[in-house]
Amino acid sequence: MKQSSVDLLLLLLALAVLATPAFSDLVLSKVERRIDVTSQIARVTKTLQVINSGSESVSEFTLTFPKFLGNNLAYLSVVHSEGKGKSKRNLANLSVRAANPKGIPDSISVYSVSLPKPLSKGETLTLEVVAAFTNVLQPFPEKISQGDSHLVMLQESSQYLSPYAVESQSLTIKLPNARIESYTKLENTKLQGYEIKYGPYKNLLPFSYSPIVVHFESKAAFAVAEKLVREIEVSHWGNVQVTEHYNVVHRGAQLKGEFSRLDFQARPNPLGVSAFRHLLARLPPRAHSIYYRDDIGNISTSQMQSDSKKTDLLIEPRFPLFGKRFLNISFGSPMIDLVTEKLIVQVVLPEGSKDISVTTPFAVKQSQEIKYSHLDIAGRPVVVLEKNNVVPDHNQYIQVYYKFSNINLLSEPLMLISGFFVLFITCIIYTRADFSISKSSATYLAKLQWDEVLATLQEVQSIIQKCLATHDKLEASLRDLSRTGDIQTCKAARKSTDSLLKDLSKELKPLLGFLQSSPSASHISPKVEELVAKEKELQEKLMAKHTTVVEGYEKKSSGRDIENRIASQQQKIIALRQEIEDLLEFIDEI
Amino acid sequence: MAAKPIASPIPVAMYPTLSVFTLAIGLVITAIFFIYEATSSRKNRSLAKELATSAVASVFLGFGSLFLLLASGVYV
Repeated sequence: MKQSSVDLLLLLLALAVLATPAFSDLVLSKVERRIDVTSQIARVTKTLQVINSGSESVSEFTLTFPKFLGNNLAYLSVVHSEGKGKSKRNLANLSVRAANPKGIPDSISVYSVSLPKPLSKGETLTLEVVAAFTNVLQPFPEKISQGDSHLVMLQESSQYLSPYAVESQSLTIKLPNARIESYTKLENTKLQGYEIKYGPYKNLLPFSYSPIVVHFESKAAFAVAEKLVREIEVSHWGNVQVTEHYNVVHRGAQLKGEFSRLDFQARPNPLGVSAFRHLLARLPPRAHSIYYRDDIGNISTSQMQSDSKKTDLLIEPRFPLFGKRFLNISFGSPMIDLVTEKLIVQVVLPEGSKDISVTTPFAVKQSQEIKYSHLDIAGRPVVVLEKNNVVPDHNQYIQVYYKFSNINLLSEPLMLISGFFVLFITCIIYTRADFSISKSSATYLAKLQWDEVLATLQEVQSIIQKCLATHDKLEASLRDLSRTGDIQTCKAARKSTDSLLKDLSKELKPLLGFLQSSPSASHISPKVEELVAKEKELQEKLMAKHTTVVEGYEKKSSGRDIENRIASQQQKIIALRQEIEDLLEFIDEI
Repeated sequence: MAAKPIASPIPVAMYPTLSVFTLAIGLVITAIFFIYEATSSRKNRSLAKELATSAVASVFLGFGSLFLLLASGVYV
């Protein structure tokens, strides 16, 4: 660093001699510079009064920085202001761009500011420039042990480096309330409290540069996020969800505190952020469900003792969310005093958003991607904004414009509904479909046959029951005979039972035939045949008995005689009846 | 450009209540559907009745599960 500033000095002297005519004849009548190094970022605020002492009107103003500062320039804004002190008004933010005019050596970075209206001859203009530099506070010594104080060094110029002549200028450096190790003493140097004042210096040539070095102790947390990915997901069901991934290192004097990712998403219990004293984050007022997670959890380093972890979450009053048309979000991280080397902001818009455009107050690299998330058909459009070297001054609002109609919100429940409907259709198909593999399988046929056999058995049973009923009728007629002595009715009854029995046996024949022929009834048919045979026997016996009784009555023999004759028959009849009943029961149980 | 805050079509505070009710109704209709399937014999089933019941049940179940997801924080 010392080498480069010596080079610069030589070069500038050469330039001053050559007096390049590339720049217009603006003269800075008064320059007040104020450098604030209380945090890890060097913020320079310059108030310039510009007079056009040339003959042409000028519409551009050039700002220059030495290269080692220019490389670390994170944020630059130029404001046209009027009035002094309390009545100072900021009129407009002017557009600034880096420029490369000819004749400027490489060790100077140049920025060109467009003035709101051309400055004509003799007019004055007041500009206020705010520049923020990162990485310009060098830790010196570079390695310290636990317990040492953290000393850093700042290199700057006491005279304002500018392509125009300066009539009067002054510089104030504001240091943190801590020890000041040393500072370059030039003429007109004063130390007041924690501020060093250089100047006022008068009548300086363009490109004059006088290096100074200030060595002081800084108590600020040199927290640098190497990479910060900020994902903002917008849902029109009423929620904006912000997830942030941080990779933070401590860039002070080699005390590396490795903080792995810190996820910001959501349950209310922030445990504590830093290994520095605290890292402060300002979140919007309607934020809820915040949680914070540390990946590894190991914070202590070998060289510096880590303090207790503590997070401060302050709520800031404004985080408006305007939509359907545009979304107003803050660009940087909500942590204050955190330098981000690479910042990626991803804004995830709901599915079906169209006409997406982004307006930012400063330059960012834009691109678009697709992200697939819950219940998505085509994916959600994502606007990706990238920027390097971001300081908290960048924490301004950017706007994302898009078109989204609420009808698209319905696509999500429709997807769920169709999912459930498919389930129901499957059920319907399952219950209706016939899953039998073959209709001519052996078991299927056997089953059918068995059903037929059973049906036939039932019919046989019913016929036998009818036979038995007719037998009973016959016996009843016999009893009537013994009561009334009416032979003719008895004979008539006999005749009718005869014919009935004949019919019944006719019906029985085909059934028997079927039972004999079917293979599955093979164990039953002998029994059934037995039953039928017995029944026939019973029939015959009954008929014989009946005939005997009737004859007896015709011959008018005594009741005793009749009974004796039919006694044996009667016994057989009873026995047969019993057997038939048993068989019927057996058939019943099949 | 309209500049009113993003508002959901249904008040956010109602999400849990809505999800409980729609899910309950959906499940009741699902039960009706399955009872009909189990008790009717193959010949007596009417396809129109089955389809109607399953359509209504799936609408209610779909909305119910959507509100359940929203109420539990997964803003789909």
